[in-house]
Amino acid sequence: MSTYKELFGKYVRSVSSDPPATNGEGQIWYNTTSNTFKTSTQVFAFSSGGNLNTARGWVGSAGNQTAGIIFGGSINPYPSFTGATEEYDGSSWTSVSNAPSPLSGIGPTGVGLQTAALSFGANGGAGYTNNSAEYNGSSWTAGGNMNTTSRDRSGAGIQTAAIGANCYIVGSQAEPNSETYNGSSWTAITGTGTARYEGMGFGTQTAMISCGGRNPPTSNLTASEEWNGSSWTAITGLPQGTHKGQGGGTTTDGCVFGGVGSPYYPATPVLNNKVDYDGSTWSISPATMSTARAYFGGDSATSSGIYAAGGGPGTYTDATEEFTGSLTVQTLTTS
Amino acid sequence: MSLFIYGTATNTGKNFFTRQDRLDFFLAGYPGSVWVIGNNEKGAVWFASKGGITKTKEEAQAIVDAEITAAQEAWDALTDSQKSISSRPSNIVLP
Repeated sequence: MSTYKELFGKYVRSVSSDPPATNGEGQIWYNTTSNTFKTSTQVFAFSSGGNLNTARGWVGSAGNQTAGIIFGGSINPYPSFTGATEEYDGSSWTSVSNAPSPLSGIGPTGVGLQTAALSFGANGGAGYTNNSAEYNGSSWTAGGNMNTTSRDRSGAGIQTAAIGANCYIVGSQAEPNSETYNGSSWTAITGTGTARYEGMGFGTQTAMISCGGRNPPTSNLTASEEWNGSSWTAITGLPQGTHKGQGGGTTTDGCVFGGVGSPYYPATPVLNNKVDYDGSTWSISPATMSTARAYFGGDSATSSGIYAAGGGPGTYTDATEEFTGSLTVQTLTTS
Repeated sequence: MSLFIYGTATNTGKNFFTRQDRLDFFLAGYPGSVWVIGNNEKGAVWFASKGGITKTKEEAQAIVDAEITAAQEAWDALTDSQKSISSRPSNIVLP
C-alpha cells in the first residue's frame, strides 16, 4: 500500500491544535490532542438572506446572491400579476423600476446580471407576450420581440447573448421551440429534443443545459439536454422529474435547486434539494434549502453563487436563501 | 427525547439562520412560519434566540394544514384556465 509520503512527497504533520481553516485548505494533518486526521475544505449550506419587499412567485430573475434581481410574477393571492422589480445586494432587497407590461405577469424568463438583465416571454393580464425587456441597473427598456409568443422558457446567457429553450405556447402547450438573442433581435434555433416548459436552464448562449420541465397533464420530466451552440444532445436525466425550480452555473459545474418534484400529478410535492451537475452526472448535494419551494427566483453564472427568493407552495413567501460556503476544518473518517 | 423541536418563529431575513446553524442542526421551514428544528443543544438555543414559540407536533401540523387547506381552497376557486397554469398545493406531513 502506498504511503502519503510516496503519493504527495511529504509527511503528514502532527500538531496539537488545528491551524486556522484558511491555512489548512488542501492539507491533511494529524491532531495529537484528538488523535484524528483532519483537513480543511469548503463546506456549503443554505443560509437566510434578506426578505423581499413583496412576497411573490412565478418571477423572473438574474444576477447572483450578492447582486441579484427579481421581477414580475404574481403576488398573493395568485393570480395577481405584478411588474415589481427588486435588486438584492447580499443582505437586503430594494424596490426599483417596475418591469414593463406585458412582461408584468407570470413566467417571465430572466438571464444576465443585475445591471444588465433580460426578461422575455410571460403571461400577463393582457395574455401571453413575445416581448422582451432589458434592465440596465436603473430602468427597463423594450428589447427585440421573440419570434414566438410564449412563457416559461429555460434561460441562459447574458443580456446581449441569451438563449431561451423550449416553452409554453397557447394551444399546443409544451413546445421544443428555442430562440437566441444578440442584444437586439431574436433568432429561431433548433428546438430541444423534448417538448417541455417550466424547465430549468443554466450556462451560456453557446453552452447550456436545459433540464426538467413538464408536459401536462401528468409528465414531470427528468430529460436533460446540452446545447453546444448548434445542436442539442441528450444527457443524463435529473434524479427525479422537476419543474419550476431554478438553475445556476455552467455545463461542467452547474446545479438545479427546488421546484415541483415527482410524482407531481395530482400531488405537487415541492423540493428543497440541490442537484449538482459536473458535466456528465447529476448528484444530490447534502446542502438543502431550509424551506422547500417552487415558482421562485434565483440564478447565478456560478453554481456557488445561487440564491432563492420568493415562491410557494401555497401562499408566496418573501423569504430568501443563499448558498454559501466557507473553509471548515473537518475530521477525516473512513466512511 | 424526541428528534425534533416544533414551533413557530418569524423569519426576520438575513442571518435568521446562518450557514453554521444549518451545519449544526436540522432545520426545515413550512407554511405558517412553522419550523422543525433538530433537538440538540444548538438547535434549542437557536430557536429560543429567535423568540420561537414551542408547539407540539400535532399543533404544528395543524398550523401547516390550515395554511395548505386555505391555499387549496383558493386554488379550487380558480378558473380552469388559471388552474391549468398552476398546481394545486399538496398536503405536507411534518417529519
